[in-house]
Amino acid sequence: MPFIQLIKANTRMEFIEMKRYLPNTLSMIATVYIIFLGMLLGINVIGDPAQAEANIQHLIVNYIFWYLTLMTLSNIGFTITMEATRGTLEQLYMSPLGMWKILLSRLIGYIALHGVIVIGLLYLSMATANQWLYLKPDITLTILLITLVGIVGVGFMIAGASVIFKQIQAFMQILQFILAALAFVPLSVAPILILAPFVKGVDMIRHVMIQGYSWTDFTAMDYTALIANSLLYLLIGIFFYLKCEKIAMSRGLLGNY
Amino acid sequence: MKEEILIEVKGLKKGYKKRKTKEWVQAVNNVSFTVKRGEILGLLGPNGAGKTTTIKMICGLIVPDEGEVVINGITMQKNRLKGLEHISAVLEGNRNLYWRLTARENLEYFAGNRGKSRKEKMGEIEKLLSEFKLKQKENELVSNLSRGMQQKLALAVALLADSDVILLDEPTLGLDIETGYEVRQLLKKISEAGKTIIISTHDMPVVQDLCERTVIINNGKVIADEKVEELMNLFETSAYVLTLGNELTEQQQKELDAKFPINELLDGGKLTITLEQDNDIYDLMDLLKKENTIIEKIDRTTIDFEEVFMNLIQEEKNHAIHSIN
Repeated sequence: MPFIQLIKANTRMEFIEMKRYLPNTLSMIATVYIIFLGMLLGINVIGDPAQAEANIQHLIVNYIFWYLTLMTLSNIGFTITMEATRGTLEQLYMSPLGMWKILLSRLIGYIALHGVIVIGLLYLSMATANQWLYLKPDITLTILLITLVGIVGVGFMIAGASVIFKQIQAFMQILQFILAALAFVPLSVAPILILAPFVKGVDMIRHVMIQGYSWTDFTAMDYTALIANSLLYLLIGIFFYLKCEKIAMSRGLLGNY
Repeated sequence: MKEEILIEVKGLKKGYKKRKTKEWVQAVNNVSFTVKRGEILGLLGPNGAGKTTTIKMICGLIVPDEGEVVINGITMQKNRLKGLEHISAVLEGNRNLYWRLTARENLEYFAGNRGKSRKEKMGEIEKLLSEFKLKQKENELVSNLSRGMQQKLALAVALLADSDVILLDEPTLGLDIETGYEVRQLLKKISEAGKTIIISTHDMPVVQDLCERTVIINNGKVIADEKVEELMNLFETSAYVLTLGNELTEQQQKELDAKFPINELLDGGKLTITLEQDNDIYDLMDLLKKENTIIEKIDRTTIDFEEVFMNLIQEEKNHAIHSIN
């Protein structure tokens, strides 16, 4: 299967790059660990003790989502910018499998590696703080993965903009505030946000972690909304990216930086 | 036996608006040529002639305003990804590689990017590393390799794709004489393996050594599409060096420039001149006889491809000036 080989090659590439840029990887690990630890220990001190556990759960769910979303979204745009700077972007476009599949496999590798690190760090920080959150890995991970599909779709939209404009850092800075708002505002406060990417997923995981929801506590409508939202954003994202790619090719912008 | 045409470039046109001046530039203007299976074609032209744009349109990296590229029966503008199964390219030389990966990791990564497993390509990777004398440096980061080695690795990556067509944009650019020679030898080897190659280059020894045919582009247009040997013959038979016993008069020089624009008066009374037709030699003799110019010696010049190229470009310029006038 060519696509499986593509995923393997790009996951290995992400892993090698993490090893080659070790100081950067270590500082990322240390930062996330300190943040988790800070949240687990700090909320007990700062917040209302009666509400402490719910606060921690709420904050950590939001943080993990915000972190993974931001990493995923900035990674795909950053990949395009980096490849264009290095001079390898056009070489990637020479693959008969198509650039969007290369980007997708890069993201899969990136999410897999970072996902393992973040979840590992979460458990490590829980052990360090001796504060065990109410995690249900089966349902939490499933919802998380489906939600990430939609995030990847938004990532493709950013990739499309990067193919044409190359420099999108300023936009990314604004985006992280928008993402924070989406991750932290509960769906019950603004139901319209169900149409936004990943909000339904965060909301469902909040219910699992804070209210102890299980598979059967969600309605078929909840699952349908989650899957439909993710698939729709993925499809729109890929369509948008391919359109941008076409524009870049007709304007001769691929090799430009 | 009919020779199979593998690449058809039909009436390609591409224009850009300059960013600062907003002036319209026709980078490629109605470029057409074909390449047979197993042929090595040199794509030549001065800087800004439209070579790289043409190469990129062949790979489908730039969409032409008009025209199409057909590779092995597949129209690139309609089915680019299918067409790419038949093409690999070295577009920016050593910049096409990942400098923070080792030589071997680069080969493995690009094989994976074409959907091939490391296991499947292991044998070929070993063979390429040995053939390209990269075996000892296989675990070195590309950033630590010399420019020549990086260039060889970029070629190896293109070869690993196992495609029918290889496009090379300036494969010897920036290399010292020794490494340039080494890369030329490698290209020779690749060509002997029956690959169809298009080389865009300024390096005339590459053209003379490797290319069977050349397409010369100037100002976005094809000004010559000939076998290298025929172009060489064409200019060799019409280029002469005359050793003159006395100086030319001003009037003679004027007439000479008007009738035979490709001429140069060198030290020691030597006049190099290119004649367009065989009969022109009689006109030249008449012109010299008029002022009793003594001709001590006439030689046919041996010409290299660089001179052929320069003559063609000069002719094109003169033609353009005549058209304006």
